[in-house]
Amino acid sequence: MINTLLAWRPIIAPLPMGHAASYLLLIPMALFISMAYRAVRLPTMTRYPRLVLLQAAQIIVAIAAIGIGLYVVVEVMLPIIAPMPD
Amino acid sequence: MTADHANTSHPTPHPTTPVGFNPVAGFAAIALPGLGHIVLGEHRRGVCIAIGVLGLVLTGLLVGGIDSVDRREDRVWFLGQALLGPVAFGIDYIHQNNFKAYDQDLLTRDPARALRSALPGEARGVNAEGLPVWRAAEPGDAKPSTKGVGRSNELGMLFVTIAGMLNLIVIIDAGFPGGRSVPDDEDKVGAKKSGKDDTP
Repeated sequence: MINTLLAWRPIIAPLPMGHAASYLLLIPMALFISMAYRAVRLPTMTRYPRLVLLQAAQIIVAIAAIGIGLYVVVEVMLPIIAPMPD
Repeated sequence: MTADHANTSHPTPHPTTPVGFNPVAGFAAIALPGLGHIVLGEHRRGVCIAIGVLGLVLTGLLVGGIDSVDRREDRVWFLGQALLGPVAFGIDYIHQNNFKAYDQDLLTRDPARALRSALPGEARGVNAEGLPVWRAAEPGDAKPSTKGVGRSNELGMLFVTIAGMLNLIVIIDAGFPGGRSVPDDEDKVGAKKSGKDDTP
């Protein structure tokens, strides 16, 4: 993994990341979206840092909850409702 | 229903500042994310917007490579990315002209599809007409850019496209300043204490 990262050419080549590691990209995505959106929406910037972190946390928790919900539907509920024939 | 009950169930909305039209700030926002708000005198707001939008773009390029922005091969994604303005068109120009080359075989049969990214084992060369073409790589050739595939490519394009759509909100906000809620008492007190009230 270290050798792969050392051989990585940023921007010229895609980031050599594993499937599981790609979920971590939700954190910078939520943070940057919150930074831009809150900067546009807030009347004043006095509470900006706190509200950015709060909105980023809300996005991460909501998407994680959607992921867990879909996992339960696909892996738990659907096999009960429509079991695969033996 | 009593009058008191009606008041609590339908609270009075916060008053908003009047909406104006500022074409200079609008064009500045199109030119560079956050620049419109800096033109309006809201420096901190503009810098925060620039960090948010350009941070998404940079993260997308790091994850998916420069192939995340491709006007020819990912046209639908580019519709959203184009909202970044010159930033997206500049990245696409560099991608098309500095990282792609023509397929020599397709140049005569299907010129519209001849410009493409490198396949494994290829290197950039120049044909007799001076056009950049792909040829078999030889030892010592510079390695060309790698075409993004799979999840890296999807996420890279998604990051840049979200940045473009966020920038549309930013452009509208800069071109039509105002319309934000008038800060409540808590905000006014906090603004006076910190001295950083930049409400337009």
